[in-house]
Amino acid sequence: MSSLATTMNRVRFSVGDKAVVADLRKPGHVRTPDYLIGHTGEVIQFCGYFLNPEDLSIGRTSGPMVPLYRVQFRMETLWRAPQRHPDDRLCIEIYDHWLMPAIETGSDF
Amino acid sequence: MSGYHDIGGHAAGPIVKTELPFQHWEKQAEAIRNLLGDNSRRVVSLDEIRLGFESFGLEKYQAFSFYRRRLEALIDTLEKKGLITRSEFEQELSAVQSRWPLPDQEKR
Repeated sequence: MSSLATTMNRVRFSVGDKAVVADLRKPGHVRTPDYLIGHTGEVIQFCGYFLNPEDLSIGRTSGPMVPLYRVQFRMETLWRAPQRHPDDRLCIEIYDHWLMPAIETGSDF
Repeated sequence: MSGYHDIGGHAAGPIVKTELPFQHWEKQAEAIRNLLGDNSRRVVSLDEIRLGFESFGLEKYQAFSFYRRRLEALIDTLEKKGLITRSEFEQELSAVQSRWPLPDQEKR
């Protein structure tokens, strides 16, 4: 995390919130793997503020700082196939701008 | 849409379980990369290096090992920023190798 003064984007999600990974179709370097696009996860931790890797990849180090969350996804829904251990989850860090509030359906969690 | 590096979940056959030794040059290159990217310098970020090797093209990307990709992209980035040239790097590399020959298995 940077100690330099910079803009900090608002934290939009709380632990327990359901969120959908957005299809941002961004060119260049992104840290959100393609297999997560469109999937619904549950925010399990706020990890802090970090410089956006999409900015860092083109040499921009001035911010803003963006919130990073740890999000869990059910493996079964992710791979659309039964898993040997049905309760297995993928826990992965996702930057705030890749997440949209999920419409509650109760299907994933 | 996604790049050739973004292959999570694609069919890829059995997982190769061969342990690869962490070579001395790989540790040195990673140490230099860390120093160049720390918060007191910010000369090159890891994400710049990632963008670099994600732009190699599939053939070059697949031809290089994990650490070789990072090293090549680091040199590219330093060159792009006007800090060193490839030929300066190669000259220095041969100068150092003549002073301190590496065992064959450590040559990159």
